[in-house]
Amino acid sequence: MNSVITKRIGLLLLAGTLSACATGPDGGSIYVPVGGQESQAPEPPRVDVEPDEPRVERKSEQPDVEPRTPSYQNEGDALSPAAQSLIGEGERLLADGNPQGAISQLERAQRIAPRSAKVYFALAEAYMDLGQLGTAEQFSLKGLSLAGTNVSAQRSGWLLLAEIRQARGNVAGADQARERAARL
Amino acid sequence: MRCRIGGPFRYNPAMKKTASPKKTSRKPSGKAGRKPWFWRLFIRVSLIGIVLLAGWMVYLDAVVTARFEGRRFEVPSRVYARPLELYDGASVSAGALERELELAGYRSGGGSAAGRYRRSGGQFVINTRGFQFSDGEEPRRQLSLSIFGDRVEQFRVLSGPQSPIVRLEPAQIGGIYPAHKEDRVLVQLDEVPVLFRNTLMAVEDRQFYDHFGIAPLSIARAMLANIRAGEVVQGGSTLTQQLVKNFFLTRDQTLLRKGNEALMSVLLELHYDKDDILETYINEVYVGQAGTRAIHGFGLASQFYFGESIADLKAHQIATLVGLVKGPSYYNPRRHPDRTRARRNLVLGIMAESGLITEQEASRAQGQPLGVTSQASYSENRYPAYIDLVRRHLARDYRQEDLQSEGLRIFTTLNPAVQYAAEFAVSDTLKSIDDRSEGKLESAMVVTSRDSGEVLALVGGRDPQFAGFNRAVDARRPIGSLVKPFIYLTALQNPDKYTLVTPVEDKEFSLVFDDGRRWEPKNYDGEERGEVPLHQALSKSYNLPAVRVGLDVGVEAVKETLRDFGVSGGISEYPSMLLGSVSMTPVTVAQIYQGLATSGFNTPLRTIRQVTDARGEALSRYNLKVDQVADSASVHLIQYAMQEVMQEGTGRSVYRTVPKALALAGKTGTTDDGRDSWFAGFSGDLLAVSWVGQDDNGPTSLTGATGALPVWSRFMSRVPQHGFSPVVPEGVDYHWVDSERGALTREGCEGARYMPFVVGSEPDTEVSCDGSFGRRLRGWFEGMFE
Repeated sequence: MNSVITKRIGLLLLAGTLSACATGPDGGSIYVPVGGQESQAPEPPRVDVEPDEPRVERKSEQPDVEPRTPSYQNEGDALSPAAQSLIGEGERLLADGNPQGAISQLERAQRIAPRSAKVYFALAEAYMDLGQLGTAEQFSLKGLSLAGTNVSAQRSGWLLLAEIRQARGNVAGADQARERAARL
Repeated sequence: MRCRIGGPFRYNPAMKKTASPKKTSRKPSGKAGRKPWFWRLFIRVSLIGIVLLAGWMVYLDAVVTARFEGRRFEVPSRVYARPLELYDGASVSAGALERELELAGYRSGGGSAAGRYRRSGGQFVINTRGFQFSDGEEPRRQLSLSIFGDRVEQFRVLSGPQSPIVRLEPAQIGGIYPAHKEDRVLVQLDEVPVLFRNTLMAVEDRQFYDHFGIAPLSIARAMLANIRAGEVVQGGSTLTQQLVKNFFLTRDQTLLRKGNEALMSVLLELHYDKDDILETYINEVYVGQAGTRAIHGFGLASQFYFGESIADLKAHQIATLVGLVKGPSYYNPRRHPDRTRARRNLVLGIMAESGLITEQEASRAQGQPLGVTSQASYSENRYPAYIDLVRRHLARDYRQEDLQSEGLRIFTTLNPAVQYAAEFAVSDTLKSIDDRSEGKLESAMVVTSRDSGEVLALVGGRDPQFAGFNRAVDARRPIGSLVKPFIYLTALQNPDKYTLVTPVEDKEFSLVFDDGRRWEPKNYDGEERGEVPLHQALSKSYNLPAVRVGLDVGVEAVKETLRDFGVSGGISEYPSMLLGSVSMTPVTVAQIYQGLATSGFNTPLRTIRQVTDARGEALSRYNLKVDQVADSASVHLIQYAMQEVMQEGTGRSVYRTVPKALALAGKTGTTDDGRDSWFAGFSGDLLAVSWVGQDDNGPTSLTGATGALPVWSRFMSRVPQHGFSPVVPEGVDYHWVDSERGALTREGCEGARYMPFVVGSEPDTEVSCDGSFGRRLRGWFEGMFE
């Protein structure tokens, strides 16, 4: 009995930590399993509220769960080894002159690491190789939207964008991107 | 009308021509004894007969060769789910992995044969079959992994080439069949094990490589046996004759038919070599039925009955399949296992007799269970709504005839686990809210991958197995408040004028049109609240501020935003569009919310990754594309307010079902009298749109929060995933503010919120915890809504 209680308290604490992390800016995305064993611990009783009433939270019933606030993070997620290996494979194919093969591997990487800037930069490079500069530019912008405060990701993104814009004949845009990289 | 075409008026050249010599033969019948007359007549009749026979042969030859050439290539296209990627950290529950394996035709149990897996608790050992993807081969491997907290851990390749990430073979989820509904998997003769070929010949046609299409001796032997038994116990048909018979799909046993078959068999042998005929036979033979789908050929038969490739069959499985030829329904191994076992063991006996296997091997094989899979590895109508959308996408680039006959492989983006959760959420939730409407409630759901736009699941109605009206694709309904994020996004794109804390007026007003009509929008609850900060106006879905802001930025500008995000149809010019009197299908809503879910990047929805030919060569690719349609900063602000919807706004009941740790963002939508209940929202991984309403547009007592949101929540609670946590874009800073008063404040003060602002647009006044202002209000704050 005692061990069950300890386990439950442990789980509640875990849940508390998780929800606290979820609001923090630096932890990367929070993975939330459906439950499996965790879901067998009884859920804290919930107060049934009408949609238009303010939500009542009884402190005693939800001891460790802070009221949520909207979540954000300062930079994109780190790459898993699996995603890294696919990007490596993509880069190898690109170097071998097979941009279409590279894109296949990079799209696999994108599906398992969709919140990492690097994967989009790699896609931008593959499309640049194919001469599809508009597509390449969009991927580098997407990558930049995930770079956040990561200076090295920002720098590679802006330099890549500068190169693509230069190739497209957008000299002013290229200069602007280069300047952004220099300012970092 | 009918008798003019059929019956006595039909022209039949064969009848006419054979009748005419009879007429002439009547004259001489009276004059007996004139031999030269008789002989001349006989020769003439014979000549005519030979000419007719030759003509008939030419005709049969044309028929049989056309059939032989044509038939060999008519293969349905196969539609596959996305392959499951396994690696350390992969998001999958143990239950979902097991379902996925079963869907792909894997069988539980020991052994290290390809296509087998072992599970104990969260521990899996999987023997993959390997698969030829167009971007490279995924070879056979033995994998070991464990699943903890819905994630793959300790992923290892036990045998086969090492790799940190491995794709399972994709499960087949459907096919695009020719009109005659024949299904087959083409195999080449060299892929068929020698034992298989020899067994087939030993049982069906011992002299196959020696005869010329027919084997008169065998026929005589069979006739004798039949006469002795008093019934048909033995067929003397060669494989060639059986093939010809199969071509014409007729079971009548008339003498004329038999003669034709024999002639055609001889003709076939003249044109093609034995191997060609044997290969065609192996691909053509009818071996079973799955609903309306006819199972042809041993290539498909080995998958259909054993879930294995023909190259991997063991002696007892070969004997079962060869035994089936005699009567696929009489010896149906799933329905009549005893008959099948007897027949199989007979075949095994013949195999031993012919020296193909030893006596010991035969008796060992005879002791084996049949080992057929409990059901066909997939049912063709499992995902009717999804396949429907796939077919529409295919129709843009492919002709129906090619899809039905060229054996194409279509690799879709369907995620079976997500589809399963979506189907469950729809059908289960609808049962519990049925009493909220007088008519029959219906529903639809679309789930996409947030950053790639891949459609992972699609539900077209409350009965997901029903292949009828596909509401996800075809039901165009007013979207109600789902339009509001686009109004506020349009406003927030001008940070000098609008921020999340800009006070907006929640006060009634009326608009008078040029033609004298009046429009007086109301809040859902009929209340007015005076001034509310913009973020709250969105999270609580107040109507009056939305219309006021919409009119301020202009209906045209809001339309422009909607178009940028992917609405292609017409959008109403009337201000009532600001309250969502613009109709869209659930799929279109998913498309426009994609841009809100990412940082303003429109990502075209896709159901197909790739189409390849039968050999796996890519014919078309549908690659990921992104297109930035809004600046990331203003989208980030909207994402803040859409998260607030889930925490304090109209969507907050979501956390009765979903774990609090899962950060979500979304928006409810309701139209007049609850005719449409919508919810659209997203997590870190998924974007989902749900709709509930009646097909006849009847009223319900539902709102977005009580109809569509419960469906959405139940779905989200059943899929392991990452929470929503957007990266702060460049040019956005977070500040502690008192949003009611539109001023900066300090952390810990009552009502303090940490909110994002486009740099420079944050309030320039500060209010302390006790409520006193530090500086005068900014000019725009007072002057904006006079």
